[in-house]
Amino acid sequence: MNGDRAVSAWTGLAAGLLVTIHFLLYPVWAGLAVGPNLLVGGLLLAALHLRAGHAGLLGFLLGLLEAGMTLDGLGSATLVLTLAGYGAARARDLLFADARFYAFVYLLAGTWVTDLALRATGSGDSSFAHAAGAAFVSALLTAAVAGAVEAVARSAALSRSG
Amino acid sequence: MRYPTIDRPGRKRRDFGLVAGLCAVSLLLANLGEVGRLTVLRGLRATVLAPVLAVHRGYERGTGLARQVEELTAERDSLARQVAAAADLAEENHRLRALVGLPERLAETFVTGEITPGAAGDVGPHTFLFRTSSDVRLTVPAGVRSPKGLVGVLRARRAGSALGEFWTHPDFRVAARVSEGDATGIVRPFRVEAGESLMLLEGAPFQAEIPAGTRVVTSGIGGVHAPGIPVGTILREGESRSGWSRSYVIRPAVQPGYARVGLAWIPEPLDGPPVAPPEPEGGP
Repeated sequence: MNGDRAVSAWTGLAAGLLVTIHFLLYPVWAGLAVGPNLLVGGLLLAALHLRAGHAGLLGFLLGLLEAGMTLDGLGSATLVLTLAGYGAARARDLLFADARFYAFVYLLAGTWVTDLALRATGSGDSSFAHAAGAAFVSALLTAAVAGAVEAVARSAALSRSG
Repeated sequence: MRYPTIDRPGRKRRDFGLVAGLCAVSLLLANLGEVGRLTVLRGLRATVLAPVLAVHRGYERGTGLARQVEELTAERDSLARQVAAAADLAEENHRLRALVGLPERLAETFVTGEITPGAAGDVGPHTFLFRTSSDVRLTVPAGVRSPKGLVGVLRARRAGSALGEFWTHPDFRVAARVSEGDATGIVRPFRVEAGESLMLLEGAPFQAEIPAGTRVVTSGIGGVHAPGIPVGTILREGESRSGWSRSYVIRPAVQPGYARVGLAWIPEPLDGPPVAPPEPEGGP
């Protein structure tokens, strides 16, 4: 297994772990005013190493699961997460991916936009300013957690592949 | 390169087509009817999400057992007092009806079910799943109450479960009246600046000044909610006053997310004619 493939495999594992934690700890997130959105974090991490179409498909499937969990936003969650996965995979190609803090900025911006879109298309009734603020704090937390997980996965992959 | 480009130019069109198709499916899902939505959600929760939901139930059982026992004990004590009082009332009602020659009062039928709240948004969840083990056929829309008061309304049903909306849902409306007096109106959800979720009684007659602390109950008009279910208590007069009507802010009797057991109203008794909603109180 070469270095890139190892990094992809480990990042995929890390993304799966984030998504699993998101669903398993759902009652905990529900009790918090603002928490990290590990579902979007996991999707964005996976999109770094997937084809754009596959990232969109992954987003669609995660959207279905999220709607099943929340009992809300069936259709809107799948639409937003499909576009988020596709857009994230395309952004990886379009943007300069060698920058030192690329992963953090990518996760922060990606989660903010996606979270805001989820809030806007859901049945929430908060003002835009409030939703934008809450989504930004959530994006910061997500970027910190998912960025750390990505860094650990990357270093684990590189150390194993020599 | 840290994140290598793995999309070949030839694949981009195929990827775009796939994503466009998924977007179309998403739009179809978004426009599914209530029954279709319930079917998809139930399917997801019964299959791929089942292990996760089992973990959640185990967690809830583990953490909330002591609290639940406390709540159930308090509820049982309160019910015992109510049952004792109700026996006297029933006897009195029976005698008075016999005196004025009225037929026996028809019993209301409720179906008990477990409430599973949906996503907790900024003001709590808007939707819930209602699961019942009873064989009684639910009809929708049907009002749902808890022992403390109004919870919401069932919108779609399939077999033993139904999809409902809490009273916090933006589309929720219920006809209500004050427990003392003859003021009536329509209650809808209302959110104050602090993010607190309250209710607003609209369309109350201009000449009827309702003091704070007055109880508001369902009027039964519309046939979705049983009459007399506690909705909440008046907090203050609302700011919106249009023409000949006033509005009042209400503190709700039940906060969504806290109700775990609900009673869905079946307007028709299981073995009898439909129950007509009673005339509003305060008449001649």
